[in-house]
Amino acid sequence: MSSLSSSVARRPNADRSATIAFWAFISPALIGLTLFTLIPIGWGFLLSLSHAQNTIHFTHFVGLRNYIDLLTDEEFLRSLATIVVFAAFIVPLTYAASLGLALMVNRVATGRSFFRTVFFIPSAVSYVAASLIWRVSLFNGLSFGFANHLLSLIGLAPIVWIGTANPPWYWLVLVTVRLWLQVGFFMIIFLAGLQEIPSSLYEAAAVDGADPGWQMLRHITLPQLRNTSISVLLLSLIAAFQAFDEFYSVLGSGGSANGNISLARPPLVYLYSLALSNQDFGRGAAGGFILTGLIVAITLIQGRIVRFGEADP
Amino acid sequence: MLRSHFNHHHLCVTRRQFLRTTTAVVGGVLAGCTDSGGVPGARVTLTQWYHQYGEAGTQEAVLRYAAEYTRRYPDIAIKVVWVPGDYGTKLSTALLTAGGPDIFEDALTFPMVGASQVVPLDDLFTPEIRREFSAPDLAANTVGGKIYGVRMIDDTGLLYYRKSLLQAAGIEPPTTMDALISAAKRLSSGDRKGLFVGNDGGISALLTLAPWSAGSEFLSDNRIVFDTPRTAAAYERVRELIASGALLIGAPTDWADPSALIQGLTAMQWGGLWSYPAIYKALGDDVGVVPWPELDDQGAPVTFAGGWSQMINAQSRHIDEAKRFVRWMWLENGALAQDWALSYGFHVPPRQSIARNAAPLQSGVPAQAVRIVQQHGRLLPPIWNSAMTTALSDALTNIIQKGRPAAPEVAAAARKCERELERSLE
Amino acid sequence: MRKRLPLSFCALGLLAVLFLLPFYLIARNALMSDEQITSPHWAWLPPQPHWDNFIKLFQDPTAPMLTGLINSAFIAIVTLVLQMLISSMAGYALARIPARGRDTVFAVIVATLMIPSAVTFVPTFAVTAYLGGVNTRWGIVAPGLFSAFSIFLFRQFYLRFPEDVEEAGRLDGLGYFGIYRHLLLPNSLNILMALGVLTFIGSWNSFLWPLVIGQDPSAWTVQVVLSTFLTAQTVHLAQLFAAAGVAVAPLVLVFLLMQRYIVEGAKFSGGKE
Repeated sequence: MSSLSSSVARRPNADRSATIAFWAFISPALIGLTLFTLIPIGWGFLLSLSHAQNTIHFTHFVGLRNYIDLLTDEEFLRSLATIVVFAAFIVPLTYAASLGLALMVNRVATGRSFFRTVFFIPSAVSYVAASLIWRVSLFNGLSFGFANHLLSLIGLAPIVWIGTANPPWYWLVLVTVRLWLQVGFFMIIFLAGLQEIPSSLYEAAAVDGADPGWQMLRHITLPQLRNTSISVLLLSLIAAFQAFDEFYSVLGSGGSANGNISLARPPLVYLYSLALSNQDFGRGAAGGFILTGLIVAITLIQGRIVRFGEADP
Repeated sequence: MLRSHFNHHHLCVTRRQFLRTTTAVVGGVLAGCTDSGGVPGARVTLTQWYHQYGEAGTQEAVLRYAAEYTRRYPDIAIKVVWVPGDYGTKLSTALLTAGGPDIFEDALTFPMVGASQVVPLDDLFTPEIRREFSAPDLAANTVGGKIYGVRMIDDTGLLYYRKSLLQAAGIEPPTTMDALISAAKRLSSGDRKGLFVGNDGGISALLTLAPWSAGSEFLSDNRIVFDTPRTAAAYERVRELIASGALLIGAPTDWADPSALIQGLTAMQWGGLWSYPAIYKALGDDVGVVPWPELDDQGAPVTFAGGWSQMINAQSRHIDEAKRFVRWMWLENGALAQDWALSYGFHVPPRQSIARNAAPLQSGVPAQAVRIVQQHGRLLPPIWNSAMTTALSDALTNIIQKGRPAAPEVAAAARKCERELERSLE
Repeated sequence: MRKRLPLSFCALGLLAVLFLLPFYLIARNALMSDEQITSPHWAWLPPQPHWDNFIKLFQDPTAPMLTGLINSAFIAIVTLVLQMLISSMAGYALARIPARGRDTVFAVIVATLMIPSAVTFVPTFAVTAYLGGVNTRWGIVAPGLFSAFSIFLFRQFYLRFPEDVEEAGRLDGLGYFGIYRHLLLPNSLNILMALGVLTFIGSWNSFLWPLVIGQDPSAWTVQVVLSTFLTAQTVHLAQLFAAAGVAVAPLVLVFLLMQRYIVEGAKFSGGKE
């Protein structure tokens, strides 16, 4: 993939002018990333090794104590478990839903661009706005909530969707809001992938007597979509582990009643309250790095699973 | 009697309108100027932050006070910043670096002092002034023997009830938990429920009230002391309250807002004193108040004694001017302090001399509220932090929502709080 | 491909209705009064549309909607233009300019993608504060100008760019900058539009950073204004939904106009390499 060996002559002038050009082109981005990403990461790391309460100076060095405190904190561990379970649900669900939509949209001859637009538009809505609609209008626990209105049409009593743990209906609220917001984007990626599959493959399979539908899906479509699938799974996995907005906006009201927030608390919500409410920036940073470690580990594991898949004929 | 105090209000309105039109332009120019905060003509500009108060008229009021100060002392301008949304996050990040406010409102926490974020204000508290403030007001603002904040408004909570509905059902205003649960059950019918304590079933509202009502304390001598059977019993009764089905869950706003009571979604509501004007406007004299009932005869009725205090940023470059403003605004000036406390939301002015003489506080619900907070008001000391609240709130969520037995949850929360306390103290 | 047309079509139709449901709810609630929204008698359409909810929204002095819209638009456009410029230059350099250290730089950039922005939030604020950026326009914009994600995608795009175009340019005597400006940029329209729209949307929807950096109400963005409805103690439901509608509508518009480019651009993030 590297084009290093392309038509660049080995004259020292060319090398030097290339070097100058490289650094000239990349310096705005590099300076900016250094200032606003690399330095903060380093700073955050140093904070994670310090006792930093109500301050962002890392003068009070405590080694790995913040990390140990968090890894022995049942609530933090529970938040890690919550996000792993959440990801285990939402990632396959997102995958199946977006693939399913892509397959269906790809199939219809008329209205394809209309459907594509309809499913994709929610990506333009912010998590804050969507959580607002979900909490106040769609899944409101009183009888004027839309879901409860539908229930009343079939003669059922209103359900308190957010705010009881038995049964935990709030999961439905959380999962549907994320699906609504992100399925369209992944559907577009799948559509692009589907359109690159040469139809000759399908025709040849049809000639061989393959039954369209499940068999074609399994033996042609899915293998052809392998790279796309990997991208979709990876992106939705990383996004799922960083879930924050919908949990914070749907379960916490930001006002006087935050009791629901511990019903389903992902690590970022827990760290947010630790770092920003309690102002324990050392522990907050340490938690962030633990979460990063988890994301990297899961990404690597996913990479290995996929590699095992390569061995399959 | 109540009518007379509202005539007083009408007078205030007219005077206020006059003040508003003449100072609006001045205030607007002074308060909303350039990015960097410098105001033309003033030698010093102090930045003052408030969180977004829900009540109408509050923002105009603070701008007016700022303008008034600048009229008196023309080379000090006050730039008021009105912060919506997550005031806590914004404030705490701003205090970390230079460029934060000079003066701000907040509740004092122990680490703020430890990290030298606030300025000691003992020199403002002469013995005379000190006598003006109640013990909880001073305790809330004292760490290590020094005072760091000036209480601006005292807030408290009240159990509001609809007199007509209770009378119709033949119920007395509840004074014990038993009475409350049975009253709530009897007053629930159809779309109207008996009691509203928040959309989370009371986890936030009753977190500290329930143990207090049982006679428990949280901190004593810098030790965690709430791990007692009484606390567990109190939380279990909260669970009973929810299980009774008489609680309103899922109101459009939460308990800090009186809409649920006003719209008739509930017969009783735990609310703040700040909501009283809206409640009175909608329901008139049909509303009465009691403190949160005692758990049983070994407990006591309770409410919280909270409020907002003004503090000065230790990184401010104009600490002396800031102190002078704080003293003028809150410690010397009676009229503005009273206006702030009573004319918009309803709060008790912390200074006893004002509270004693303020007309709106002489009768009816406001007078009862003052008595309730004086007799039953409780607070958590500044060393209590939000990590401890989280631990306790998790425990209560487990007890209430997941049905776990209370005693082990309370014990686990206490252990967690002890660890947090150790961290704080080192 | 077989035509299972009716079944797919019906299923898609039903799903389309479900997906459009939240927009319907915004529109419906924004045009009703508070009592109508909370009334137990459900109305599918507002009996008399309360257009004045929007007027009241813009007149509300505590929620400066117009200022929020202007600020959001300004910030989003500036971010979009500058980020595309910076990222495309960096992507080009990483893909096409041979230099020592290039691979290291690329590895560092990719590594930063793994770290959730939540970790760096407070230190980034500290850096910005030390640079004097608090309560300034550039302070709100600056961190958003540098996106490792965009740089990565531009690099991938330029890697697939046909080499003969560059060859021709070099034969014509163009240096690296000339090639970039005259040959690459004009032909990058698809990815510029795609990433540009995504950047615009991301910037428009960002909330926490503008809240923490911007202090005057004159610096509020539309999301900050919207959040005042979430945390205000007295909530007027109709106004809240009107605000949500106003906050979402410009994006939907931009989206409808530009989605073709996003669809084109999507081919580079998921397809074969």
